[in-house]
Amino acid sequence: MINFLEQTVNGLVNGGFYALLALGLAVIFGMLRVVNFAHGAFYMLGAFGAYVGLREFGLPFWVALVLVPVVLAALGMTLERTAINRLARLDPLYNFLFTFGLTLILQDLVKWRYGVNANPYEIPAGLTGTVHIGQFGFPAYRLFVFGFAVAACLLAWWLLARTRVGMVVRAATERPELTGALGIDVGRWITPVFGFGIALAALAGVLAAPIQAVNPLMGADLIIVVFAVVVIGGLGSVTGSVATGFGIGVAGAWAQAYAPPIVAQTLVFVVMAVVLLIRPAGLFGREEGVA
Amino acid sequence: MRVRRVLSGTVAAGTVLTLLAACGGGGPRGGGGSSLSGGKIVLGVLNDQSGVYSGLGGKNSVVAVQMAIDDFLAKHGDKAVTRDISVVTADHQNKPDLAKTDAQQMYDRQDVDAILDVPTSSAALAVADVAKQDKKLYFNIGAASDDLNGKSCNKYTFHYAYDTNMLANVTGKTATKNGAKSWYLIYPNYAFGQDMLRGFTTAIGSAGGAVVASAGSPFPNPTQDYSTLLLKTSGLSPKPDTLGVMQAGGDLQNVVKQYNQFKLKDQGIKLAVGLMFITDIHALGPDALAGTTFTDAWYWNANQDNRAFADKFYAKTKTRPTFDHAADYSAALQYLEAVQAAGTDDSDKVVAKLEGKTVNDVFLHNGTIRAADHLVTHDAYLAQVKPSSQVTEPWDYEKILETIPADQAFNPPSSDCHM
Amino acid sequence: MSELVRSRLRAAGLPGWLRWAGLAVGLVVAWALPRVLYPPVALDILCWALFAVSVDLLLGYLGLLSFGHAAFWGTSAYTAGLLAARAGAPFPLAALAGALAAALLALPIGYLAVRRTGIYFAMVTLAFAQMVYFVANQWRSLTGGENGVQDVPRELFGMDLSDPYYFYYWMLPLVLLGLFAAWRVVHSPFGRVLVAIRDNPIRARALGYPVHRYKILAFVLSAFLAGLGGGLFALSHQFVTLDDLHWTTSGQAVVVVVMGGIGTLWGGVLAAALVVRLEDVLSLAHFEQVGLITGGIFVVVVLLFRQGIWGTAAAASRRLAARIARRRPG
Repeated sequence: MINFLEQTVNGLVNGGFYALLALGLAVIFGMLRVVNFAHGAFYMLGAFGAYVGLREFGLPFWVALVLVPVVLAALGMTLERTAINRLARLDPLYNFLFTFGLTLILQDLVKWRYGVNANPYEIPAGLTGTVHIGQFGFPAYRLFVFGFAVAACLLAWWLLARTRVGMVVRAATERPELTGALGIDVGRWITPVFGFGIALAALAGVLAAPIQAVNPLMGADLIIVVFAVVVIGGLGSVTGSVATGFGIGVAGAWAQAYAPPIVAQTLVFVVMAVVLLIRPAGLFGREEGVA
Repeated sequence: MRVRRVLSGTVAAGTVLTLLAACGGGGPRGGGGSSLSGGKIVLGVLNDQSGVYSGLGGKNSVVAVQMAIDDFLAKHGDKAVTRDISVVTADHQNKPDLAKTDAQQMYDRQDVDAILDVPTSSAALAVADVAKQDKKLYFNIGAASDDLNGKSCNKYTFHYAYDTNMLANVTGKTATKNGAKSWYLIYPNYAFGQDMLRGFTTAIGSAGGAVVASAGSPFPNPTQDYSTLLLKTSGLSPKPDTLGVMQAGGDLQNVVKQYNQFKLKDQGIKLAVGLMFITDIHALGPDALAGTTFTDAWYWNANQDNRAFADKFYAKTKTRPTFDHAADYSAALQYLEAVQAAGTDDSDKVVAKLEGKTVNDVFLHNGTIRAADHLVTHDAYLAQVKPSSQVTEPWDYEKILETIPADQAFNPPSSDCHM
Repeated sequence: MSELVRSRLRAAGLPGWLRWAGLAVGLVVAWALPRVLYPPVALDILCWALFAVSVDLLLGYLGLLSFGHAAFWGTSAYTAGLLAARAGAPFPLAALAGALAAALLALPIGYLAVRRTGIYFAMVTLAFAQMVYFVANQWRSLTGGENGVQDVPRELFGMDLSDPYYFYYWMLPLVLLGLFAAWRVVHSPFGRVLVAIRDNPIRARALGYPVHRYKILAFVLSAFLAGLGGGLFALSHQFVTLDDLHWTTSGQAVVVVVMGGIGTLWGGVLAAALVVRLEDVLSLAHFEQVGLITGGIFVVVVLLFRQGIWGTAAAASRRLAARIARRRPG
């Protein structure tokens, strides 16, 4: 029973990463109608940012946690202004392709400089211990990651539900033309929202650095799982992305612990197939024009 | 749009140039494989130079082979069969298809007489196929799969340095004899990992131990997360006393990190590693692995001869050699000596000189190049990682616990091998 | 020059005789390829040409971006490879059987995938391809897992086809057939309906066309072509690996099509030659960061040259033709 609990909590930790990434992807899509293939690359850059920050500049983890997402968000926003914006009036396919090309470039640039090997990054001091609740023991850092991910998602929810920016974003997501017709300047929020989405990806990357391999390809296969997560959750739905992210994390952990390996690897795709059959818009999505 | 025109023009020119660049090499394959190479010998080093195994061999393997060439020329002087001996190299990026293409290019386009190294079992097997078809020599050093000297063996392929059975025999049997009685094995779920699982289960059983459970991790592993597998340990019954890890390279580094994070050592679960390179210890730092036992085919600081080689290597590369480097050196030297003895680089004649030879050099102690399956057997070592407090100089990470004689380390020839 | 004629010229693109000349040049190049290039590279160019054309069929004419076409390329590769290796099937049979297997796989995947369009479709195909990849990885007894299927023979009634130079000429007819089939599909009523569906699916449905069925059929045809390329690829390399199913292979196909020019068919062929050749040149120069170069070119194309190489060249020659036409009176 304890073991089951440990596996579940572990699944929630993994789910946290999926949720953060799916959230960023959903927010960017909602606002810009761009499916950001490079999301995985920014996650990777976040982890590398932490690693390089420590190695070259001696930046401790807590500083990196704040600084790296800010820096990468700035980079993302520059990209949005110069390139993505230019493609916005075209078929969204082009932006998808552009971000794909960007992924190839970013991955190879990092590979060129740092090689493909995993780079070590230590768990920050203070979180290296284990938390014990009765018989249940779990590494402190992983619990921290889970907590942080939940907090970040709650913050995002609060931003969307309770602030003016959030209202604009939600309106622009559901009824872009109407929002514009009502005189609301959606445009000025596009770049910051993109930056916010990128910051979430980078944040996930920094959080991942101590527990996952910091290597140039760490985002590559992950992004495909995240795509499946958002298809399941409903691409325009923020709630859906987060809930599905955590759900898939837990389901995946259970599958890996109690089922043959093939189940764990293909689970998310099978679920996606089922969802497509029953509810093509996604579990939490609404039937939109994107259908 | 003048800029556009200029850019279009550049693109067009670039297209044409790329299509035409370095044209040549066309036409049917001439003369088959083993024509005399015209007064020169070319050695090819094909390995991973940018990926998970680049530390094991990588670009420094070329240095090792060059050292062998230099020593050979110095030894024979003017009596050498030829003084025109060179090395070429290619990076197969751990991709079997690329390895196959690179090997073909080396034999066809670059006149390579012998290919060396080739880590990653799938790539290694692909190159064996090319060697067989082109009838040119191939010394595999970097890969473990025992299929190379089993069902995929052939006349022109030699499996140098180590194989999965050796790893199982040394780590598995020895560790079991020394007290590891119940094992939980985790392995990467691809050919290499599954071979290791098979080999270790047999070896552990024959030494009186038992494998309580085993679990595979995905390969490649996008999330590099082994937590689910590691957490399983507390739920197993009987509780294992040893965790056997078959992951290699970057995967291994992450398993070890997480093993430490989950404090499994404190729960009384020791760590045994199927395949570890000194570069892994260097990447993780000795403290992450202190106390772990593993099999090493060769250690640079084990004796004076090894150290002398390592010092020469260090002078050129500023790093200590792995067993792969030492074996590259040894294989290259043995090849050149065989050519010298045969007086020609004709593959069949050189093979005849190599088969059955017993060798003692810097890498091989009590080494034999077996004729039956072209496996090179030699003494192997059970090593233990020192904690950083005992490390006296950089790279001084290993303590050799035991030397395992060649006939115990390696299995007899497999019945699957038909030359 | 009247407006009508000018618009006709624009629509036709180029005068008829130029098209026949183009075909002739293409055939000459196809014949000469293994004489001027290292034959295995020439073989790769042929296979990738088919692959690119198959992806362009969907993207250019139906407006659907399949980001998981490696599932078909790879499934066919494994089918062809296994049939040749285990059953000694002659290579044309193996390749066609592979293509058929790919087409069969495309039925369920297509059925599910076409329920979405645009980006959703791309992500769904990507995800399904990943699933196929993992299944192949696990089904080690069949696929050999990471070792792949080695020792794939090239058989044709006992003839020795081991020299890639000669195999090229044996393979060429099949490839040309495939390319011709693609061209024929596009220039047919069926092809016209596809374009109509792409431009206005609601109107197409209103006109009575079973849109979903057309999409699935096009998807299956495209998979068949990709499979043909993949099967021949397995036979030319005599080796099948999981890389043939990996999403990076799918991605490369998309890169090639976009570079060549979406909807131009022959652009894909040209770009396939370019990319294969580029990789060969880079590997000889020991430059490992291929993705940097191809990604860089790709990004430039997406930002500035969306018509691709072929499209830009065609537009340039159209301008030239129009200018010539304008000079001639009436």
